[in-house]
Amino acid sequence: MELENRRSPDDHLTDDALFALALPAAGVPEVLPAHLLECPQCSRALADWKNAVRDLADADEDVLEKRTGEEWSAVEDSTLSAIRREGTPGRGRVRTLRWALPVAASLLVFALLVSGRPDSARVSEPSDDTAGLSAQDKADDALLRDVDRLASGDESSGGWGALAPDPGIPDPPQGEGRS
Amino acid sequence: MKKKLAGAVLFAALVGPAVARPADLPEGKWWKRPRVVAEINLTPDQVRVIEDIFARARPKLIDGKGELEKRQGDLQDAIESNADRRDIAAKVEAVENARAELQKTRIVMVLDMKQALKPEQWERLVRMHQEFRRERRERFGRFPERRRDDRPR
Repeated sequence: MELENRRSPDDHLTDDALFALALPAAGVPEVLPAHLLECPQCSRALADWKNAVRDLADADEDVLEKRTGEEWSAVEDSTLSAIRREGTPGRGRVRTLRWALPVAASLLVFALLVSGRPDSARVSEPSDDTAGLSAQDKADDALLRDVDRLASGDESSGGWGALAPDPGIPDPPQGEGRS
Repeated sequence: MKKKLAGAVLFAALVGPAVARPADLPEGKWWKRPRVVAEINLTPDQVRVIEDIFARARPKLIDGKGELEKRQGDLQDAIESNADRRDIAAKVEAVENARAELQKTRIVMVLDMKQALKPEQWERLVRMHQEFRRERRERFGRFPERRRDDRPR
């Protein structure tokens, strides 16, 4: 079958194209370029973009949740001002995309966070508020979190996942590394 | 020996998570958070009692954490240096013993803290954390579950 957007193996997807694929408009499934099927480099790059989008959502979550209505208005005003400053006609699409991409990402994260939820129902982890804790309390707080993580075996490194293969997954044959 | 190693791994995988959380409490030093204090009507006396319980447990928590990390390091070294199965099995056992000891200290501390609270305060504390986790799951449920190996390289 002849797929759209066929490219030669050397004609890699641009960052703009990868961003559009990683963050498609809501409800609009993207057509994956055939190039992705034959180019591991671009497939990996797309996976990285998708992970970066998820990381962005996670990292911004707490900060965004704590913003008041006035702060959101200020962010919106500053964004619009930046758009007006940068929006001089004739500078080209590439330059436009340079600011449009981060703005679009921020707006999307904001939309995800507030969609379908009244402002008063914003929820932040009750134990995530470290403001006001003394240095000793912060150290104790970190100790308790570490203990919780270690005692439950839920470790990002040093746990079973890092030490041994999953049970049931056979070892690779000798001399053959894992990909 | 194979059986022993497999048993230890199975124990860690199955039993560990089940006993990991005696209660779904907010993480960290929750009794010092103004929001938690207000939410469950924690009195200054209760804060003092809970702080004392933690202060008594702290040395054991620090030691237990250090011991577990040391044992994990030993095990990792043994695996990376292709030590024999008997040695690795012994180190697996040491890791799990250290983890169990740390878990015991933690659970006893949490149970002591529970005694310092009224039943309704305890229930509210557990429920507020569960609500937070549920709402967080609902909000970000649209993202596929992240896997440890699904990270940018």
